[in-house]
Amino acid sequence: MGRKQARGVPPMPSQDTGDEMPSAKSKRRKVKKELNDVEEPEAGTEAVIEMEGLTNRRSSDSQEPLTPELPDVPQQKRKKKKKAHTPDLEGEQPEHVNGDVLEQQTDGEEVTKKSKRKRKSKMTESHNPNELGVEEDDIITDVHAPVSQRSLFSAPLGHSQPLSKVFVERSRRFQATERLDLGRQGEQLEEFMEVRPMWSTRDVAMRVHSGFRVIGLFSHGFLAGYAVWNIIVVYVLAGEQLTTLPNLLQQYHRLAYPAQSLLYLLLAISTVSAFDRVNLAKATMALQGFLTLDPAALASFLYFAALILSLSQQMTSDRINLYPTANETLWPPGSEHQILQPWIVVNLVVALLVGLAWVFLSSRPDMDYTEDFLMAMEVEEYPRHDEKTDIPA
Amino acid sequence: MLQANNYFLVLLIQLSLLTFDLFVNSFCELLRTVPVFQLLFFIIQDISILLNLFIFLLMLFNTYVFQVGLIFLLLERFRALLLTALLYLTLSITLHSWIMNLRWLNSNHYVWTDGLQVLFVFHRLAAVLYYYLYKRAAEYLSDPKLYEDSLWLREAFAHYQQ
Repeated sequence: MGRKQARGVPPMPSQDTGDEMPSAKSKRRKVKKELNDVEEPEAGTEAVIEMEGLTNRRSSDSQEPLTPELPDVPQQKRKKKKKAHTPDLEGEQPEHVNGDVLEQQTDGEEVTKKSKRKRKSKMTESHNPNELGVEEDDIITDVHAPVSQRSLFSAPLGHSQPLSKVFVERSRRFQATERLDLGRQGEQLEEFMEVRPMWSTRDVAMRVHSGFRVIGLFSHGFLAGYAVWNIIVVYVLAGEQLTTLPNLLQQYHRLAYPAQSLLYLLLAISTVSAFDRVNLAKATMALQGFLTLDPAALASFLYFAALILSLSQQMTSDRINLYPTANETLWPPGSEHQILQPWIVVNLVVALLVGLAWVFLSSRPDMDYTEDFLMAMEVEEYPRHDEKTDIPA
Repeated sequence: MLQANNYFLVLLIQLSLLTFDLFVNSFCELLRTVPVFQLLFFIIQDISILLNLFIFLLMLFNTYVFQVGLIFLLLERFRALLLTALLYLTLSITLHSWIMNLRWLNSNHYVWTDGLQVLFVFHRLAAVLYYYLYKRAAEYLSDPKLYEDSLWLREAFAHYQQ
């Protein structure tokens, strides 16, 4: 206890050797007097004890200085002072007294114990420098060197020595790169991008969409021509006023199912292409197109209606296909007109619908709202639950 | 960040599966004289629908939006496709099972009923919707915003945190 009281202001840090202790003690006594003048008289004893504890704590290298419960301004002032001075056990201790007061007050007895242990370890190390491989340059003999004071958890004041290599994330991997090369690589990349435009995923999507639009355009025209050809063949084979329906069945039964299959294939492609042009997933835009009689919107509606009508004739097409094998059961005598007339009329309507849709699309072949959407890549803000007008993708 | 080459390959696979599905829907009825072939194509078609769905989900998992935790944002964005795909898969399995059950013993028999006709029409219509929504969603996944940090993403993150 007496020894504790005899100690004055904490020597700044790290190096506390036995040889320097007597001089440290004398200077601490001086600092102690100053401290007593600064503090209230009633807290004098406590301040001394706390200061000693801080001294003991600071004498060790391994411990980091205390933190942050102190106000920032005193810490900053203390740090500025630390930067100005080199570490020293004894030198310029009185200058740091005021700065240390607040910090010391926050330290408890635990700090005292820790500093004692570390002081002992330091003393043993300092007695045998050669055994530890300590070089002469590492030993500071200048007692007047200032002691840098800093908080326990603050960053070291020494010059940082950044690693020569840094790890940069590329292609979802971290690759070691020289720090100096970072700037160069950025410049090289910029140069590379200026010279050769790189393909992005959006460009790929645009290309695929454009390719499908070409296929869709071909499908529109081919479907219109095929539907017209089909209905002409049916009417020619059916005769005037549908009087030669058995002839139609006899000649057409092998073509019925393949024609139905091809019709579905072309209708599916054309319908998807029409939906793409009108950007059906954006319900507001699609509805606006319908109301304003937009050609693409009308075409998509016509194709969808034609698809439904064509699919509804699947049964009749199969019946026509089975005309030779199931003549009596599927085709009772006199039932041809009753079964085939709706089928012919629906096929005629389908031909008209797809023909009209083709005309509408041909009037404005460059209209493509999905392509505009892809080019802008308008990502809506986070979905609003109160707005449900758009069909998501 | 998704690379253009990788995205192109995935898109090619997805569109190939869609094309295969379309051709099976269109011309599989012509193979009904050999029920085994028709059954084989139906099974491959159903597997391709499932595979396409898995590929799409994997693409979703690959986005930065998913990795930061905004799963609901993506699900809400693509819920139409997910629902349509599940509906189409259900209709497809049902129709194929029903038709094969009717035509397995007598392939050249007239099996159509009103119920089968309705199911057939709904299946083909769902197929067209599925093709359109899937193609659009696959193209939408090319948006670079889904694979990098942006102000839009941060605003969405802050909104969902509230």
